[in-house]
Amino acid sequence: MIELEHLTKKYGDFTAVDDLSLRIGTGEFFGLLGPNGAGKTTTISMLSTLVLPTSGRVLIDGEELTRQRPELKRKISVITQEYSMRQDMNMLEVMKYQGLLYHMPEKKIRQRTDELLEFAELSDFRRRSVRKLSGGMKRKLMVCRALLTEPEIILLDEPTAGMDALSRRQMWSMLRKLNDRSLTILLTTHYMEEAESLCGRVALLNKGRMTEVNTPAAFIHSLGEYAVDSFENDETHSRFFSTREEAMAYLSTLSRSATLRATTLEDVFVTRIAESKRGEKR
Amino acid sequence: MGIVAVLWEKWVEFRRDFYKITIAAMIAPLMYLLVFSLGIQISSHGEPYLNFLIPGVVALTTMNGSFNAIAQSLNVQRLYERAFDQVMISPTPLWQFILGQVLAGSLRGLYAGGVILLLTTPIAKDLVFNGWSVLVMLLNGAVFSSIGVVVSFLAKNHADVPRFSNYFIMPMAYLCNTFFAPERIPHGFREIVEYLPLSQASAIIRSIASGGGVSIRGIVILLGYLAVFLGIAMVYIYRKKNN
Repeated sequence: MIELEHLTKKYGDFTAVDDLSLRIGTGEFFGLLGPNGAGKTTTISMLSTLVLPTSGRVLIDGEELTRQRPELKRKISVITQEYSMRQDMNMLEVMKYQGLLYHMPEKKIRQRTDELLEFAELSDFRRRSVRKLSGGMKRKLMVCRALLTEPEIILLDEPTAGMDALSRRQMWSMLRKLNDRSLTILLTTHYMEEAESLCGRVALLNKGRMTEVNTPAAFIHSLGEYAVDSFENDETHSRFFSTREEAMAYLSTLSRSATLRATTLEDVFVTRIAESKRGEKR
Repeated sequence: MGIVAVLWEKWVEFRRDFYKITIAAMIAPLMYLLVFSLGIQISSHGEPYLNFLIPGVVALTTMNGSFNAIAQSLNVQRLYERAFDQVMISPTPLWQFILGQVLAGSLRGLYAGGVILLLTTPIAKDLVFNGWSVLVMLLNGAVFSSIGVVVSFLAKNHADVPRFSNYFIMPMAYLCNTFFAPERIPHGFREIVEYLPLSQASAIIRSIASGGGVSIRGIVILLGYLAVFLGIAMVYIYRKKNN
């Protein structure tokens, strides 16, 4: 279990993460959503001990995570936004280096590497240097590297950023398989359909503060499960309804072009951010 | 164990770039030796100048080999590849990572110096190189590797490392008891130069080469530099993590 208790990170006068408290259960697939600069990456960085909190603490299975707790750090693997690998190493070398950093015996490194590259369908490229891999292959290799050390928790910071649709779907499949193995996964993403498809619960972050936590379905339900998009003055206006009948009734009152569709998590996200901006203006 | 990880990583780098590393280690020292042995035939203290020059060139090659092996590579890992993030996230204690870098850099310096020793064997028949010489080369390499670690963390971009090299390493290569004895340097500046690590390493290697003893004082000074720069490297690397 991951517990964040009043986690705060300040850079001078700027507060990147503000009093964040959260509990993520074992085996849960949890999403952190928010616009650019919301504090998602800083939160992941604090959870990985890459950055120290200004105040507050992180607990892993009830024990406080610090840099001096290698046994807790061993439970966590991180897939950072950047590729964070030596570009001149090949896949086997990247995996071995990671294994040695985590003090794994060589035999186990070799065995796990074979399994994981097979799992990620990368076996044919094992001797190819990172520099020569496609973006999608690099991301998959990062997942393999993260899994090599048999972590209990995986932190993923925008793992599908810059991937094409096919590679992204492959990555989703990989992540689902991992979650089926009871791994706790914390994901940050800009892709709302990704969070909707993968996460059991999501938290909305804005300007370093957590505004809401819920399941994607509950978020959508709170807004209304049916959306009507109408187009007027070169702008799209969306209205949300709890039932299809209400949406249809509204649609029949419109003279302009309009579309009825299911509400998505992206609608929730956009609406909440817009509400927050309006609140600030007032 | 973290030390083994770094040594293995550096071994992979060395194995892959073996020819580039070897040729790079040879070119400048060979030029110095060619210019001063064939181009300018001079003597020093009644002996062929080469007997003075070779130990100095070995010391400066060790310095360059060690510094270059660490500073640029670690800087690229930190700023461009972000591979250093994975080290920080891992359970490997950072002191082990630093020690691994210093050991690996020291071995690379020894390799570069060893190549020059091998190449000068036919013309350095009267010179003595023994286990003490190897120890001083390793120690000199360790000092400059630890400086390399500090520089790689001080550097805010990739251009900063060669810049540091131009401002500090290159002047040391010419002034620190390598091509001429520090006695010729004006009083005041001379005392500073004499106490720089390369001057000490050159002096000890030269003393051994000419059949003299090992300067324990010189070794203690080198150990002092190593302790200081290792300490600074630790402070920097731990502070970096605090950001």
